[in-house]
Amino acid sequence: MRTLLRTGLLLTALVGTAWAQEPAPYRDMDLPIPDYEAHVRGDLRLSKTYPHWRDRSRLDWRLAGNPDEHWKLNWKFMDPPFNQAVHGGHFALERGEYLYKTLNRNGRFAACLGAGRAGLKGLRTRFPQYRQDLGRVVGLEAVIEHCAAAQGEVLQNGSYDNSAVSLYIASFSQGMPIRIDVSRGPMQEAYERGRRLFHTKAGRLNFACSSCHTRNIGQLVRGSHITTPYGDVTHYPVYRTQYFLQSLHLRMMECNLDTGVQPLLPGSQAYTDLEVFLTALSNGYPVSVPAERN
Amino acid sequence: MRPLILGGICLCLAGAGQASEWPADAAVDPNAQNRTLTPKVVVNSGRLEWEPYKRDLTPWPTLSHLDRRPTPRPQQANYDPPLRGDPARGREIAMDPARGNCIACHTLPGEPWPGSVGQLLLGYKQRGVSDAYVYQQIYDRRVTNPNTVMPPFGAFGVLTEQEIRDLTAYVQSLE
Repeated sequence: MRTLLRTGLLLTALVGTAWAQEPAPYRDMDLPIPDYEAHVRGDLRLSKTYPHWRDRSRLDWRLAGNPDEHWKLNWKFMDPPFNQAVHGGHFALERGEYLYKTLNRNGRFAACLGAGRAGLKGLRTRFPQYRQDLGRVVGLEAVIEHCAAAQGEVLQNGSYDNSAVSLYIASFSQGMPIRIDVSRGPMQEAYERGRRLFHTKAGRLNFACSSCHTRNIGQLVRGSHITTPYGDVTHYPVYRTQYFLQSLHLRMMECNLDTGVQPLLPGSQAYTDLEVFLTALSNGYPVSVPAERN
Repeated sequence: MRPLILGGICLCLAGAGQASEWPADAAVDPNAQNRTLTPKVVVNSGRLEWEPYKRDLTPWPTLSHLDRRPTPRPQQANYDPPLRGDPARGREIAMDPARGNCIACHTLPGEPWPGSVGQLLLGYKQRGVSDAYVYQQIYDRRVTNPNTVMPPFGAFGVLTEQEIRDLTAYVQSLE
């Protein structure tokens, strides 16, 4: 079955190359595209809520308790250390530790992930990244799947165990700011594609991510407040009270389904490009796991 | 999982030049009910499971770079008066998440948990807004505002002509 999957992906890549020559099909774009900054402080010019959640140790709890105002905290009040209660994310973390230690008995798993002398410390803050050996930009979960497969283990991107390992690795970067460089090379190209995708309308209702998450931040959609795209990826994979453990790509699938867009597979290039764009908007903001969201 | 993989391969072999199919990296099982799949996370498993989604979303463009299907262009509606719409039916459609779901973005009378993204829909009749105008806004608002967030319910085939007539009658009944 793995071979089948590989063949499918290879064919996809070949077809993709052939199609890349043709002009792009017509799409509606959500305009105007704001002047994004590849750093979390860019939110000062977008939703302007950043001062409320910049320092997680000094959140204003009066906002958290007010259903009309808590969106201004960008849900950071559900990040550790504030939510001390043991939630599903903590169990996932233990599972991730067990799986990681099993996979890394001979040290090859860590080496494959790109952990240097510092070990897992800070590793999460450097993803997504361009991998020379894979020839493409990849997120942490895609690399985990790849490195597990190299040892004959199946950890499919988006599966509980894959996200659990990702969570365990991220926990070593707890409190360390995201640091990805999107100023040149394949990462810049991925960032630009992601930025464009963020504003590309799709699906049965012709919505772009930006239809809600730029011009309508703070507004209500069916009783829920819309939040900023800045500083939003540092708590993934996240424990969802309704959904067990959710990687960022599974979150994008949920976003797509909720807005009537046919979702793509976890690890697809479009989702990876969006991940690069969104992660750049979290540059400078600390990793925070295990977190919980509604 | 297997049907999903096969679906991708079938598309690659048979449909490399076919612009009408969904892209190979879409979460689709052509043999499943509604074709569109939703992921199911199984605790302590390295495999991602899939379930059929409640709606088939394959006909519309995705975010995939492989998706060659164009988005339907802004479309002028062929509105044929008189209105022949039922405001009570229109209200049902406006509140139904599976059809109009207007309440998700618009604030409408008598309904808790509204949205505030969309503009206020009260008093159109009093201000002399024509049925044809309201019909067009629901059918495809891109014609009058290219940057609108409002979905083109008619041009995308999300609602039928009669449903849009009912919604128009409902909007025109709001004071």
